[in-house]
Amino acid sequence: MNYERELLKGSTDSLLLCLINHQPMYGYQIIKELEKRSNGYFQFKEGTLYPALHRLEKAGFIQGKWQRLPGGQERRYYYITAKGEKALAERLVVWQDFSTAVALIMQPATG
Amino acid sequence: MPAKLNYTDNLKDYLRIDPTIESDVVRELSAHIEDRSHELIESGLPEEEAKAKAAQLLGSPRLVARQMYEVYSQGSWRQAIFAALPHFLVAVLFALRCWQNTFWLLGILGAIICFAIYGWCHGKPAWLFPWLGYCLTPVIAVGILLIYLPGSWAWFAAAAYIPLALVVIFSVTKQTIKRDWLFASLMLLPIPIVLGWILALGVGSRLPWLEQLYEVAPLISLSFAVLAITVVTFIRVRQRWAKVGILFVIETIVVAIVALGDRNAIGFGGWLLLALLASLLLLIPALLDRKIREAEEKSVELSHKSPS
Repeated sequence: MNYERELLKGSTDSLLLCLINHQPMYGYQIIKELEKRSNGYFQFKEGTLYPALHRLEKAGFIQGKWQRLPGGQERRYYYITAKGEKALAERLVVWQDFSTAVALIMQPATG
Repeated sequence: MPAKLNYTDNLKDYLRIDPTIESDVVRELSAHIEDRSHELIESGLPEEEAKAKAAQLLGSPRLVARQMYEVYSQGSWRQAIFAALPHFLVAVLFALRCWQNTFWLLGILGAIICFAIYGWCHGKPAWLFPWLGYCLTPVIAVGILLIYLPGSWAWFAAAAYIPLALVVIFSVTKQTIKRDWLFASLMLLPIPIVLGWILALGVGSRLPWLEQLYEVAPLISLSFAVLAITVVTFIRVRQRWAKVGILFVIETIVVAIVALGDRNAIGFGGWLLLALLASLLLLIPALLDRKIREAEEKSVELSHKSPS
């Protein structure tokens, strides 16, 4: 259980950058999208999402903007910045190399 | 909407970040509660229950506030150095023994007043408070110097001046506490040091005042240089407990430097009183903060209870 939490903790920023890169989103929408795309595997502790988003914003990877929804409510949408795109591209390369290496060791050899 | 109001009120109690960022965070979390409770209502929960559940799902407001504080509590190196600048300037003033140079003194005084006013009127950023502390230090120093007036004049002047000085210090401290009590402690940091040096030089009458000042100038400079380093560390550290710890430890070290410098002129009792005053000045803002919040909570409760 702890191992799973640590894995998620280490990947949170990359997951958020990846989702926001796909399309600008607001907090609640991000939580729903994470659940949907991971078939319910990623269930964020809702309150901890916002500090993570603000940390990314402070680092200059994303930018928050208040926008009005068709219903009249305002939501803070997060947009990826050029710095964020660059960081995401670097992280994706690292992740792909890492997951390939882990798979080579952990999966039983076939054939 | 009691659940939403309670959650965001609780969150505000613990947040202690820049007011403009705070309002964005509170608005964002309120919007989240609104979205989640809307979804829960659609799934069949009664409205009040849905709102309470939505707030509960966000997790402890204290934890969210602490994580949010750690995002914004670390100032940049530029802010840290700018915040430490007044202590550094005073350290240089004594290191170069140029306290009689009118140009230096007026320059420092002008910078302190200008930056304190600018920061006060521009959202009270973290770098403001050491500058603000120096605006209060002359208020204390003048009060002490009144002791040296001839005869009974000292008592008359002190009786009139001390309440006035306390009112000024209290009202500035109260305003600062509303931003964050830790900033009030940071602001009051040089007061026991200045007080200690004035008393040490005044009590030790072996040599004329100016000669004594020349003798202890390197130690005075060292004490303010240590304060400057403290401020840099305070601004750069993220965790709140670490900020509190730094203020306590360094204040004790600086008071020890003052004791070293006065060659026991104020004695162990005097040093102990100074250390006690330093600790009180660090703790009083925290106690005042609690009192202010309790009073605000009571007034909110009363306004909810009173018939509309």
